[in-house]
Amino acid sequence: MTRNVLVTGLGIVSGIGISVQETLASLLAGQSGIGAIKYLQTNHKDYPCSEVPLSDEQMCSMLSIPRNIPFTRTSLMGILAAKNSLSHAGLTPHKSLRIGFISGTTVGGMEKSEQYYKDFLENNTRNDYIKIHDCGASTEVIADYFGGFSYVSTISTACSSSANAIVLGANLIRLGLLDCVVAGGTECLTKFHLNGFKTLMILDKVNCRPFDAERAGLNLGEGAAYIVMESAESARNRKADVLCKVSGYGNACDAFHQTASSPDGKGATLAMQSALEMSGLKPSDIDYINAHGTGTTNNDESEGTAIMNVFGNSVPPVSSTKAFTGHTTSASGSVEAVISILAMNNGFLPPNLNFKTRIEKLSFSPVSKLVSGVKINHVLSNSFGFGGNNTSMVFSKMR
Amino acid sequence: MKVYIQGTGNISIQNTFDHSGFPEPVWYNEPYVRCMDPDFSKFVSPNEARRMSKVIKRAIATARKCIADSGIEMPDAVISGTGLGCIEDTEKFLSAMIDNDEQFLQPTFFIQSTHNTISSQIAINLKCHGHNNTFVHGGISFESALFEAFLLFLDNKIKTALVGGYDEMTPSYFKILDRVEFWRKKHEAIDDPGKSTDLRICAGEGSVSVMLSSEKNEKSYASIDDMEILYQPESIKSSIEAFLDRNSKRPEDIDLIVTGMNGDEQNDAIYKTISDDLFGNKAHAWYRHLSGDYFTSAGFGLWLTASCIRQKYVPSFVSLNSFDTGNLKNVLLFNHYKNKNFSLILLSAC
Repeated sequence: MTRNVLVTGLGIVSGIGISVQETLASLLAGQSGIGAIKYLQTNHKDYPCSEVPLSDEQMCSMLSIPRNIPFTRTSLMGILAAKNSLSHAGLTPHKSLRIGFISGTTVGGMEKSEQYYKDFLENNTRNDYIKIHDCGASTEVIADYFGGFSYVSTISTACSSSANAIVLGANLIRLGLLDCVVAGGTECLTKFHLNGFKTLMILDKVNCRPFDAERAGLNLGEGAAYIVMESAESARNRKADVLCKVSGYGNACDAFHQTASSPDGKGATLAMQSALEMSGLKPSDIDYINAHGTGTTNNDESEGTAIMNVFGNSVPPVSSTKAFTGHTTSASGSVEAVISILAMNNGFLPPNLNFKTRIEKLSFSPVSKLVSGVKINHVLSNSFGFGGNNTSMVFSKMR
Repeated sequence: MKVYIQGTGNISIQNTFDHSGFPEPVWYNEPYVRCMDPDFSKFVSPNEARRMSKVIKRAIATARKCIADSGIEMPDAVISGTGLGCIEDTEKFLSAMIDNDEQFLQPTFFIQSTHNTISSQIAINLKCHGHNNTFVHGGISFESALFEAFLLFLDNKIKTALVGGYDEMTPSYFKILDRVEFWRKKHEAIDDPGKSTDLRICAGEGSVSVMLSSEKNEKSYASIDDMEILYQPESIKSSIEAFLDRNSKRPEDIDLIVTGMNGDEQNDAIYKTISDDLFGNKAHAWYRHLSGDYFTSAGFGLWLTASCIRQKYVPSFVSLNSFDTGNLKNVLLFNHYKNKNFSLILLSAC
């Protein structure tokens, strides 16, 4: 006997806002967070990115963290977003609650390691940052800020990490092993990522144009987002406001290439199909698809093909919101889960900014202008990572 | 629900890969030791091998070995645990980026730097489109991967799964973690292997894959009956009691506990307390003196435990006290990381 998984809190920090309210306002206003790099110290400032509009000092001050304690930007953003999600849910983690914290990240504490790597090798001056480099330690810094969690885990599947964190959290609740889970992910901009994506030649020098025929790559972003999930019983006992239900999810592997998606979109197709199957919904029940839509030539065509495989001739409204937030890598799954839930609960279709021309091979164009006043009962959110780690999730309105 | 271990593959600092039983232990005198690697040409083409780091080649080899051992050609899921992932390629990209001031970088090391490269490369090698995931939670990464597989079995989502723990060692990674006393005690020569509880062990690396199935047959090593991962439990003793209780077991029903002892006082204290207080110090085995200490050594622990159960035999070089090794029905595999993360795995003979 499995249990329903309900969402009772959202927290998000990205280039388009440091709260749910700011994020919603930016989405409705068509306000992108992509621009010139301000905080990351790099030689490649000519690539536009979407940074969280706060310095580390500002975040420490907002969180009452003394500056002499070692923190990475990834952890600070994570704490901020997790805190927002918990306060939205009206929840304080405590050992009596059977509550878990699951976070996705790709490079953990790399932002400090890439600054102090020579010190790591040569002297003892930055030892505190060695201890918080690995992904698990990076997650525990966030969990321990709050305390009270009885299960803590970290997932790393590149750009679908935080989606897989949500999937694991939902499973733990469904199967009755935990009552509440805070799940999502966090990743700040690093030189490591910026240079890495640059070597792959998939960074656009201007603002990204997902699903456009002329698209020329992605813009990196940074962000953190968590959702609070709980069992119906837990939500009822706490008299929590229920935002929506996690009705299905699917994880499949493209098993094609380490960085490229297959032309037939096999992994993506399987992920969407299994999410739909689990939710018991027909493709025609989906009212909006928040696509992974990075803006790279390869992803958008492969994902578009997969969408056509699943939805045939009646593709629902699709948009990628990466032209708002940039590609927040590990955090993109949970960032877009929050955006999808906001779209559903506020009845609007977020625009796919910068779209002009349809990709010839695809039968559909994305939503290019904000559409408000629509009824969305079920939303599908896609997250695909390097290595073909494809995950799709379906969120549904409560009846 | 029971999940059966149907096959294993183990590349370690011991001669475990081409050996079906327990190889004669090799004792080391170095601070850290790298694996005894097999000939990888049977598993990956020379062309692929040139671009692959050690951790990837080993993972593919142990995955392939698991498939041959179990007779299960295509698992429904591939789930991996790794503490530091592809650290060698990460270091190469990072060093080049720093040394060349963000110029003249090649994509290969970046592409292969992410932790999920291991699970992905296994999936690509097997052409496996099933559930694929990677757990990166420090010294509990392997068990976290195993736990997700266990959940998917519990949910009837899968019938088979390939689960593994993979970590590689590099000189700079050893040196960096040594700064923060990660390797705990300085290495000293081992005089009395298997008997002395305060002997110091080396840092290591390894690649262990296990094939799990919801169905048992003549190939089954052992069954995993239950497992739990805990974060900062208020009392691990009560947690273990509750864990056994929900499996209708009392401590006296457990024939053997296998722990993550590594010779370090702070690390081992809890194992000794639990062994004495709950299990009357009757049958206690360890493995880190064989595997070396690394983030996913627990994978080696599971391999060892499953092998002991299948062979109804506990080699003297892993037992910490004398007991009847022929009567192995229920075994508890117990590991912790930094006294914060704990894993409990209950296994039994089929």
